[in-house]
Amino acid sequence: MSEHALRRRATAAIARSTAGERTLAVVVGLVLLAAGTLVWLLSLGVFGTGRAERPLLDPMIIEALHTQPLVTRLAAIVGGFLLAVLGLIWTAHALRPERRPDLLLDSGSPEGGTDTAIVVSAAAAAEAVGAQAAALPGVGRARARLVGTDAAPAVRVTLWLADDADVRDVLARLHDEVLATARASLGLDDLPAAVRLELDHLQPGPRVA
Amino acid sequence: MRVLLRVLAPVLGLAVAVVGVLVLLEVVAAWVRPNGNAGLVVPWQDWYATLGRIAWSDAPVPGIAICVAVLGLLLVLVGLLARRPDIAVDGPAPDITVTTSPRVLARLVGRRVRSADDVAAASVTASRRRVSVAAQAWGDAPPELAENVRARVDDLLDEIPLHRRPRVSVTVHDRKGVR
Repeated sequence: MSEHALRRRATAAIARSTAGERTLAVVVGLVLLAAGTLVWLLSLGVFGTGRAERPLLDPMIIEALHTQPLVTRLAAIVGGFLLAVLGLIWTAHALRPERRPDLLLDSGSPEGGTDTAIVVSAAAAAEAVGAQAAALPGVGRARARLVGTDAAPAVRVTLWLADDADVRDVLARLHDEVLATARASLGLDDLPAAVRLELDHLQPGPRVA
Repeated sequence: MRVLLRVLAPVLGLAVAVVGVLVLLEVVAAWVRPNGNAGLVVPWQDWYATLGRIAWSDAPVPGIAICVAVLGLLLVLVGLLARRPDIAVDGPAPDITVTTSPRVLARLVGRRVRSADDVAAASVTASRRRVSVAAQAWGDAPPELAENVRARVDDLLDEIPLHRRPRVSVTVHDRKGVR
């Protein structure tokens, strides 16, 4: 896999993406902002005082809709259906829990007489990585979590560093020892990682020696 | 902001879905029973009559329009500002992305600055672009204290492989009272 693709997977593993939610908020916000501003300007008479004096449900528009009742109803039904489906998709997307991909070590082969698949659960793999990371010098606590898809898993590691931690050394050891071991034992060619650095509880030093 | 977005997103989605379902219900109901006088769920005939009477310039319309525009502006701001304020740290390989938070960087800097005897107290704010240190000096602090504090912060930033080195600003105030 290319370096660029690995970097993208590692970046995507930092946190659950909120791109969809942010886009939804911006789009709905822009629509409301534009509609509110246009109606306000219309009510002030910017588009003509005669237009501002007309009712909200303009008889001209009502008449135009009444001349094509079938088209109007079908358009309203299609519009309502689209709104309902889009709204439900957005809601489901926002409430869906993040994926935790299990790792398939051996799918078994009916030709070879074995039909038993060996699967390492996401929780077990993450716990192993977290335990190894927590044992690194300079790391007080560690937590790992598998994210991504079954075909392209990644690991999200949170490290709580001790006071005397050498950040470069901790990261190098995490890459060379913990992640390399995880890749080898899980039979993965690549396992991109997103590492979050936090501080372990600081022990305040004495102010007076 | 991100928490607000997480709450708002499903609420917005549900609101859109409810509007769609109501439109579907009312249009189909009005089509199926053309002599029905009232709406199935929504009293749209009353709304219809009211909206036919009110003009664009009448009292509640401009106020409601301004409220809707402000709500839209707030939603746009929430969507644009709900980014993670992460600070990128260079990892040892391309397949490892490292981040930390401004809070962690501020705590590290604060601890380093306060570790020296010539600083009585310090408050630190940090972002990916800037680290600001406001140090309180004892009355007998040397005049070059600001430079000393800056050197300590620079040493710390050398130790952390930050992807983008933030600018450091240091201000020193004298602390009132005895040491």
